[in-house]
Amino acid sequence: MKVRLGKESGILIVLLTLFVALSFISPVFLAADNLIDLVRTNVVLGILAVGMTLVIIIGGIDVSVGAMTAAVTVLLGYFTVAFGFQPLAALLVSIAGGTLLGLINGLLVTAIRVHAIVVTLGTLSIYSGITMYVTGGAWINNLPVEFIEFGRIRLFGFLPIQILFLLAVVLATWFMLRYLRIGRAIYAMGGSPVAAERSGIDTARVQQFVYAYMGFLAGVAAFVHTSIYRQVDPNAFTGFELQVIAAVVLGGASIMGGRGSVWGTLLGVALLALIGNGLTLARISSFWHKVIIGLFIVTAVSIDMWQRMRQERRMAKIDVMG
Amino acid sequence: MRLWQPFRLTAYETTLLAVFAGLFILFSLTAPNFLSAANFRSMMVQLPELGLISLGMMVVVLTAGIDLSITFTAALSGIALAWCLSHGWPIPAAILVGLLTALLCGAFNGVFIAGLRISPIVMTLGTMILYEGIALQFTKGGSISGFPEIYSVIGSGRIAGIPVPMLIFAGAVFLTAVLLNRTAWGRSVYMIGSNPTAAEFSGIRVRSVLIRVYLFSALMAAIAAVIMTSRYNSAKVDYGSSYLLKSVATIVLGGVSIQGGAGTVKGVVLGAAIFQILSSALNLYGLSPHLVDVLTGAVLIFVLAVDLLNQKWKRRPRTRVPPASLPSEPTKPQAEASP
Repeated sequence: MKVRLGKESGILIVLLTLFVALSFISPVFLAADNLIDLVRTNVVLGILAVGMTLVIIIGGIDVSVGAMTAAVTVLLGYFTVAFGFQPLAALLVSIAGGTLLGLINGLLVTAIRVHAIVVTLGTLSIYSGITMYVTGGAWINNLPVEFIEFGRIRLFGFLPIQILFLLAVVLATWFMLRYLRIGRAIYAMGGSPVAAERSGIDTARVQQFVYAYMGFLAGVAAFVHTSIYRQVDPNAFTGFELQVIAAVVLGGASIMGGRGSVWGTLLGVALLALIGNGLTLARISSFWHKVIIGLFIVTAVSIDMWQRMRQERRMAKIDVMG
Repeated sequence: MRLWQPFRLTAYETTLLAVFAGLFILFSLTAPNFLSAANFRSMMVQLPELGLISLGMMVVVLTAGIDLSITFTAALSGIALAWCLSHGWPIPAAILVGLLTALLCGAFNGVFIAGLRISPIVMTLGTMILYEGIALQFTKGGSISGFPEIYSVIGSGRIAGIPVPMLIFAGAVFLTAVLLNRTAWGRSVYMIGSNPTAAEFSGIRVRSVLIRVYLFSALMAAIAAVIMTSRYNSAKVDYGSSYLLKSVATIVLGGVSIQGGAGTVKGVVLGAAIFQILSSALNLYGLSPHLVDVLTGAVLIFVLAVDLLNQKWKRRPRTRVPPASLPSEPTKPQAEASP
């Protein structure tokens, strides 16, 4: 518990440093408009990263998130163009589509019993292939006016409606992990699948739930994304899964499973967002973004592993003396 | 007797060979121009790139790792090579620079993964983004071209009727097979993959073996980069990035266990060959390349499912627990009864 706290406060310190540095570098940074815009453009990343956190806690991985989200944006685009925009109906269609794709992942992962990275690589190829075949790569630009109006809503005159979705997802997931049985089962399974199974947890069910939940959030993310950008680009999410995984890993989740939290992941998302925004404000060429994000990931996991190795060594010493 | 040893096939490899033969006959009969010289030539030019990346990926996966950065290692290496060529360096020097760039990428992966025991997925995910970023920064998203004419021989030339890339690939297959089956390093690779703790306790220097594993995958990426830059007559960041998914699919189809410790070069070559004739034939049928992606994914999942049924058929499942934790984690003995 202490270790996790330490790690999260480590990211927090980096975040605050960046924040202070950025407000000195650029006077625009602290402007309310910039900050709100910064949150709004990262809502989709945040929603998907929350789902990926659960997947990574159970020791799995889902590289098909980008393909799932893209598929749902296309579905949503066709649906609203054909039947008009009804907020609730559109959201339900997105969620149903996403959950179905996620459930397929979950069923395949538990049925084939191969590491999830292989299975979801397969479904990534299938989902994105179908999306590209159906759309032919063409954008959907004629979304109903009501949808576009909906995306522009600002609560109390300043808070974009999309941020509300992120808040809801974060709170619901945090509550589930902390207070519901399934949340305990998820952590138990990540800690040790064998122990979880022996203590009566249906690990296959847990896995299916987690992948379906990931799909559910991909559906929500697709809805939010479309409401922000007001058009559908079937290629918009190519390679996005890497950013999602990067945010979760930066947020302190262990890819081996068992470790990770919604708050940590949010810090990871914030870190990625600040790096991107900061580089733009500091007028550094966007080609450097990836270099810096890559270096951040390597550094973060290296420090984490180095600390863990030191800890292990210390424990080993006590073992010998005792 | 010993001479035949390398050609003996396991049951699974025989199945793969039968699938290959069956598909070959099917496509010869149904796909227009499948048997034409032009189609064979284009297949023999395309196969080596996927094959080389797959060989590199295979050796990493044998140690229960994965190298997500392999295609961008190839891209970066190709870009370094292309920069040298377009600045008038002699070809061998340029190739050497490309090779060194790739080996540097591989060493970076290997040192961190072996030294700090960082999970290969996370490390290579990070370096994948890093190498792509460096390559982007270097080319500003454009491509580098302007090579001497003779350089295109590597990608498009033929010796005795056989495309040069195919000869290079054959050499790489031979090298990989010898290294894996005839050297102490090769044995260690399999042992680390099947049980890292046991390997360490039986005196294998796991770190140095692992570092060389990532150097090997970088070497294969560098060779693939030479062929790619020569074939396209230019270098660009996203050349070859589609091979990442395909190479994992290829080796899994070829019978390599993603949990490490099991897999053969023959299987991987057969897997690559099957994917190649499949995508060529679907192309000849006039199918959309997007549907080919769908089929690639479906084939991968289908093969995994068949493999699972096959294992169930042969013996009872050892454990009911699904492999949720990463393969690189050694299985710890569980206490059966607590006091």
